[in-house]
Amino acid sequence: MSNDEIFAAAYREHYWAVSRYVARRWGGHASEVEEVVAEVFTVAWRRRADLPPSPLPWLYGVARNCLANAVRGRGRLRRLVDRLGNDDTAHGRHIAAGPEADTPGGWVHDALARLSPADQEVLRLTAWEELGIEEVAVVLGCGQRAASMRLHRARGRLRAEIDRMRPATGPHPSKEHGHG
Amino acid sequence: MADELDLLRRANPVPTDAPSFGDRSLDHNAERRLNRLLHDRTAAGRRPRLLWSLVAASVVVVTALTLLLSGPNTTPAVAAPRPLVVRAGSAPVSLDLLADRAEQAAADGAPGLRKGTHAQSWSLGMSDDKPPITLPLERIVRWKADDSRTELVVATDPGHPGRPVLTDQGGTPRLVDDGHVISRRTYPPSWSDAPPEATPPHDAVRLRAYLQEAAYTQTALTTPELFDAVGALLDHWTLGARESAALARLLADTEGLRPMGGVTDRLGRNGQAYEYRAPGLRRMLIMDPSTGAVLGLESTFTKDDPQYGVESGDVMEYSAWMR
Repeated sequence: MSNDEIFAAAYREHYWAVSRYVARRWGGHASEVEEVVAEVFTVAWRRRADLPPSPLPWLYGVARNCLANAVRGRGRLRRLVDRLGNDDTAHGRHIAAGPEADTPGGWVHDALARLSPADQEVLRLTAWEELGIEEVAVVLGCGQRAASMRLHRARGRLRAEIDRMRPATGPHPSKEHGHG
Repeated sequence: MADELDLLRRANPVPTDAPSFGDRSLDHNAERRLNRLLHDRTAAGRRPRLLWSLVAASVVVVTALTLLLSGPNTTPAVAAPRPLVVRAGSAPVSLDLLADRAEQAAADGAPGLRKGTHAQSWSLGMSDDKPPITLPLERIVRWKADDSRTELVVATDPGHPGRPVLTDQGGTPRLVDDGHVISRRTYPPSWSDAPPEATPPHDAVRLRAYLQEAAYTQTALTTPELFDAVGALLDHWTLGARESAALARLLADTEGLRPMGGVTDRLGRNGQAYEYRAPGLRRMLIMDPSTGAVLGLESTFTKDDPQYGVESGDVMEYSAWMR
């Protein structure tokens, strides 16, 4: 297969996964997500000679840079920060207001938002994109050991934030959010 | 209790089966963007920017031709326009001289660069089994302060004002009234900083690198590729005097362009024509003789192509850009 054919196959297979990646972080209208995804694949197209055999983590890495460029290039830092840090929809606060709620959307998002962007990303990649550590390393452009270390530390800090939220939010999450 | 990753998994704002982004076949927009990526570049050498026409025209139906032949009393504006003709006796102006003029004209920096475009085009829709048809369009893109933009596309042929115009809107060629709105779209804010979305530079060296990036290639542009990239640039930006001067200088340094003399373009403007010949195709660049601004780009078949029903002398595409 030529580079073009490989690219087309990757595009068809992963278009929606990349869309979800962007939507989870951008949180805007579907049309805005579509614009970002178009940019992701345009960049990927230019670099299609570098497309690895398992392209999805690599595409996530491109998407990550595109989102960062989007913020830097157009001065939308505030908007993205708002969406990632304070926006009700992005946080799922419209779904769940506290640990006693049926889904952990809101308060887990709150806990996540208190972490550094790097911690947030390694956690999201693991929990939302369901990547293994090897794939996380590809997205972050680091070695597996470094990725593993980052994830370990980020999990600890998220755990600490969740624990810290308990007294302020009443019932113990373990009673309200058991598995299942 | 659930561990922190389990909790985070359950807080996924866009799960895999989310209605808007769940796995499924590509939708129309995604398919269109993929096609654009795959074909815009590969089309560069042979049929620039016309693959969409090939696709659209593959469904050309006989009813359209019936309409054209037996249509309304008013003569429809469907005849394929003839190539521009160089005025007899007009003296060719070298691109070097034109670039000098453009630099002088740009001394005060006016007019300025503007994002958005205003273009009139005639492009040939070709198919394997039907005669080619010419589709005249006017396209206006205006950007707003919040980086959103509106795009208006109208079926019109300024060479035949008031007459019905052929469009393939919806995939089936048909006649519509002059000025029929084909599409009016508002796009949300766009933040791309890649050419041709990025602001074009106004020196020739950087502009060449910019156009190379716009053409998605890592090697120096061939002249046909350069023409395509210039078309893409002008479909996004209304160049200011300084950018036009840089472009004129860049073109003056490009091999294979031959000054032909004066022409009157399809919008009635006075221009100088510069020709580039490739096998089977002639590209002609029309430039303002005093400011060096690119006014138009014409591609004409120079040999028959029976597969698509085209004959030597048929205009494959003509674009005229306005301020």
